[in-house]
Amino acid sequence: MPGVTEMSLDHMFCSRCREGFVAHEKIVNSNGELWHPQCFVCAQCFRPFPDGIFYEFEGYKYCEHDFHVLFAPCCGKCGEFVIGRVIKAMNSNWHPQCFRCEECNGELADAGFIKCQGRALCHTCNARVKAGVLGKHICHQCHGVIDDKPLRFRGELYHPYHFNCTTCGIELNSEAREVRSRPGYAANEMNELYCLRCHDKMGIPICGACRRPIEERVVTALGKHWHVEHFVCAKCEKPFLGHRHYEKKGLAYCETHYHQLFGNLCFVCNQVISGDVFTALNKAWCVHHFACAFCDQKMNQKTKFFEFDLKPACKKCYDKFPQELKKRMRRMYDLNPKRIPPV
Amino acid sequence: MNQTAPVSCIPAGKMSKAKKVLDEAREIQNPELDLADKGIATFEEMPGLLNMINVTRLTLSHNKIQDQINNCFRLVAVPPGLANLVNLEILNLFNNCITELPISLSQMPKLRILNVGMNRLDVLPRGFGAFPVLEVLDLTYNNLSEKNLPGNFFMMETLRALYLADNDFEYLPPEIGQLKNLQILVLRENDLVELPKEIGELARLRELHIQGNRLTVLPPEIGNLDLVSNKAVFRMEFNPWVTPIGDQLQVGISHVMDYIRSETYRYVYNRHQSAKGPPPPIETDKSKKISRAR
Ligand SMILES: [Zn+2]
Ligand SMILES: [Zn+2]
Ligand SMILES: [Zn+2]
Ligand SMILES: [Zn+2]
Ligand SMILES: [Zn+2]
Ligand SMILES: [Zn+2]
Ligand SMILES: [Zn+2]
Ligand SMILES: [Zn+2]
Repeated sequence: MPGVTEMSLDHMFCSRCREGFVAHEKIVNSNGELWHPQCFVCAQCFRPFPDGIFYEFEGYKYCEHDFHVLFAPCCGKCGEFVIGRVIKAMNSNWHPQCFRCEECNGELADAGFIKCQGRALCHTCNARVKAGVLGKHICHQCHGVIDDKPLRFRGELYHPYHFNCTTCGIELNSEAREVRSRPGYAANEMNELYCLRCHDKMGIPICGACRRPIEERVVTALGKHWHVEHFVCAKCEKPFLGHRHYEKKGLAYCETHYHQLFGNLCFVCNQVISGDVFTALNKAWCVHHFACAFCDQKMNQKTKFFEFDLKPACKKCYDKFPQELKKRMRRMYDLNPKRIPPV
Repeated sequence: MNQTAPVSCIPAGKMSKAKKVLDEAREIQNPELDLADKGIATFEEMPGLLNMINVTRLTLSHNKIQDQINNCFRLVAVPPGLANLVNLEILNLFNNCITELPISLSQMPKLRILNVGMNRLDVLPRGFGAFPVLEVLDLTYNNLSEKNLPGNFFMMETLRALYLADNDFEYLPPEIGQLKNLQILVLRENDLVELPKEIGELARLRELHIQGNRLTVLPPEIGNLDLVSNKAVFRMEFNPWVTPIGDQLQVGISHVMDYIRSETYRYVYNRHQSAKGPPPPIETDKSKKISRAR
């Protein structure tokens, strides 16, 4: 604090107004500089310093208030002056404890930050936000965005290159297989990762649909293995769950859709026809069920039959039809030249 | 209508014909019984049949099965006990003289195909539509109409083919739309004066026979159906169609379908419906139908 003294007045003058001092006049002495008391004031507001406290900047002295107004920054968060360490970021000044990640509220002063669409974010949050926008995953280990295919391991997603094959030690790619460790395979009960080559040697079947190992029941069909719930109809995508399926050109179908797409359900048994098919009268029959609709006598390719409402009638049955009906049938046929004649 | 103990008076020769088939079937465990054209008049001629519960097909077409009426009793043509054959999948009674069916048939758990065509059915029993798995129902050539169908007739959701040709329908109930699995609907030579728009809801229909009726217009909803692909058949000749439909039909069914899908037709149809005249007369002579014989 500057002292106020009385001493020899020769060669002494006020630092502000450059005038001398008269005897018995009060002189302010601050670090060897002298002042008239009325001159020892704030360079901004010209008022005495409250409690004698002043701040000096580039040779000028200011009261606390004006010094802050003129030179000390306000915190962008709390609005208070920042004295001491100032964080200059995002075109603003901050108390270190006030500059925080706008996602997780973690302090950024020492961890560093990334400007993301006008917001200051920590590295982790930035990666997560960026990944969310791009529909990408975040590595559970390094928190970076996973640009290529992620590797799923023990329920989390990773950059594959953080891991090595349990057997051969090669750095893994996303093709790597997670295998539930079983007694004899691994010491603990945790899953382990293997490269594709080592995995194949272990003989664990891979699902033809999801490309993941099958640990439970295996369905073998179409020359591949499948998870029970992943072996599905190529049309409706419902799992067969042990129900009959039908194969065509390397694809499997449920009965309904096989029929819908490829026809050939037997008119009598309503089952997909696997062997020889009899097609006639807009219908199909299996070998067992191609028969006269009226007497159920079996017929074959050579059997002559008549058409009645698009049902096959053997000659014997047709002959038994009442005369009046046959007359009507004949009339309809005669009057309709487009009709294919009865066989 | 009491069914007192039947009095058998069947000629021995006849009995042996059907009995032989049954004996053979029992011997070789054949579950398919071919008893067509055996001159059978009553189930009495097939002793033990109703105990052969392994039977999956029973063919009795071209017989003379009919009610047995005496002074003191009436033995119905088809005994309710037929429903004992719980494994029966196919029952063919085509061309007999049956006037009534027992309601028990509709409880048969595996019956998929029932052919009662060419009989003398005037009515179906109440509750007839309860069949759990019936897929093909052939009622061709009987005396049925919308007036004597049981209330639950169109509850047979498993039906894929319904044959009603040569009957006496004037109107088809709109409940037909409930038969979602129907692929074949045959209404040839009835007395139909109009079709319900609900036919357009039968998305799987690939065979529709409506020839020989009294139809003048088609509900535009029929345009929703695929009846012109190479897997479909639509027969509609011999109806007194309004001129534009008749003209298109001269060219072909696909032209009719294109036409009834047009805005023009919608207008024609609406005008026709609002200015409805009397229905066209019945032209088919059905008096000689054997189903009418008494
Ligand atoms: Zn000041
Ligand atoms: Zn954060
Ligand atoms: Zn990583
Ligand atoms: Zn390896
Ligand atoms: Zn799978
Ligand atoms: Zn399917
Ligand atoms: Zn079949
Ligand atoms: Zn036949």
